Amino acid sequence: MNRRRFLQLVGATGVAALTSSCKRMTSKVGTPSSRTNLIRFPEKTEMIFLTDRPPQLETPIHYFRQDLTPNEAFFVRWHLQGIPTSVDLRTFRLNVSGHVRQPLQLSVDDLRSQFEPISIIAVNQCSGNSRSFFEPRVPGGQWKHGAVGNAKWTGVSAKSILDRAQVKSGAVDVSFNGLDVPPLPSVADFVKALSFDHARDGEVMIAYAMNDQTLPMVNGFPLRLVVPGWYGTYWVKALSDITVLPHDFHNYWTDIGYRIPNAPNGTESPKDLAKDTIPINRFNVRSIFVRPEPDEILRPGVPNEIEGVAFDSGHGIRRVELSTDGGATWADARLDSEIGKYSWRRWRSSWTPRNRGQYRLMARATNAIGETQSKEQWNRSGFMWNVIQQVDVKVA
Amino acid sequence: MAPKTKNALFSLGLTALVAGCGPSSNISKEADHEITNATMGSMLDSKPDSPIHTIVMPHDEPVFPPGPGRDEFVTACVVCHSPRYITMQPRFSRTVWLAEVNKMKNVYGAHISDEQVLKIKDYLVSINGEPDAAHDPSVAKYGE
Repeated sequence: MNRRRFLQLVGATGVAALTSSCKRMTSKVGTPSSRTNLIRFPEKTEMIFLTDRPPQLETPIHYFRQDLTPNEAFFVRWHLQGIPTSVDLRTFRLNVSGHVRQPLQLSVDDLRSQFEPISIIAVNQCSGNSRSFFEPRVPGGQWKHGAVGNAKWTGVSAKSILDRAQVKSGAVDVSFNGLDVPPLPSVADFVKALSFDHARDGEVMIAYAMNDQTLPMVNGFPLRLVVPGWYGTYWVKALSDITVLPHDFHNYWTDIGYRIPNAPNGTESPKDLAKDTIPINRFNVRSIFVRPEPDEILRPGVPNEIEGVAFDSGHGIRRVELSTDGGATWADARLDSEIGKYSWRRWRSSWTPRNRGQYRLMARATNAIGETQSKEQWNRSGFMWNVIQQVDVKVA
Repeated sequence: MAPKTKNALFSLGLTALVAGCGPSSNISKEADHEITNATMGSMLDSKPDSPIHTIVMPHDEPVFPPGPGRDEFVTACVVCHSPRYITMQPRFSRTVWLAEVNKMKNVYGAHISDEQVLKIKDYLVSINGEPDAAHDPSVAKYGE
């Protein structure tokens, strides 16, 4: 059996069997030319299927035609197979402990009724979004551009919770743990930390709603940490424990995993790997084409709508330029109004190609402090991809 | 830190995998195409107003071709994660796959001997490998 045949078989068996309830799926066959493998998880629509255990699901690009990514289509990425599949809100508590005078055990109702609610529209993007475009290829989740989404998050600021817990002087870090558990005792539990000052900046929040609805279980029900402008690895799902520390936090997921070269744009050479590394942190600036999608066929002599979304870590998108000739010439795209500094910003253009043929479209975003996108980029983990995107289309 | 199990039940990983319903009957038909479009209807077991929110997770049950190292692979790797962690990757060299298996043993503490590491590596190369490359940058990956 060759590799191709093998991968077909693996893909084809798909979700052949379910848990003990033995629900049987119905499968339908898509177009033979498509390599896309879709799956539907509980509370989710059909998503691009990376892995099931733990779940890693990518958003199909067409959902980005909406400014707010629907909950059912929002990407999913867990690290440990022991993810929560049942939560009893009568007994669930968010525990706040450590270097505090007043440890707290808060129910979701407590959060909703005892604290001032805040809302923020913010992009969440996986550190490894677009990993499959790095050359040479690197191991890891082979995401295309859909490990990202934009949502309105509603909840309570971490500041208000920390203040109620009366943090003692000398706090350094705050760690955040969720309900997921490692498959073996030797595997590090997934816990992330922010500096105390960052956690208390008034923007970091504990969200109980996403686009005005409760979160889907696989997106972190009932509570999720929201860290605007920072990569998704910090957005701990099914958040259950907040611990204030009088010292730096250390674990595998901070000291070994999720590190980037301490160099502009997290880039290093495959031939000369960086020795100096730091934890991944804020988003770099990037744009993603929404329309057209790769290999789409456009019409000559008529206007074709081109659009995309661009974002950064909160400075704001000031310019997006579009090229329809492979980067030889560039013209400004129109920017939609800003809907929040941590939201993505939609850009649009209309393009009337005169002649039939193959064209390469490119889009380049620049933010308010002049940061723009990379021409080349590589790192061993496949993080922070922001190379100027190219979309090849046919006009026919 | 309070015990997590107070708050939630967890998916049972292998138990659920083993308790599945067996392979679907139309594998060969679907295998002629490269898409599996799995629709499952509602997998939400919770009642609308219930304080207990529960989902039922789907599980993959791929068929692996016979070959040296297959038993070690199925026993040691699939305990902790979906085999799609291998099949979604591009073809990697022997060096990369060896580094990945060693990472599972040394960093994540997979219960495998050095001898099993080599067998698993050989199996991964046989199903998703490429000829040895002169230089392999991915070996020193940061572990995510």
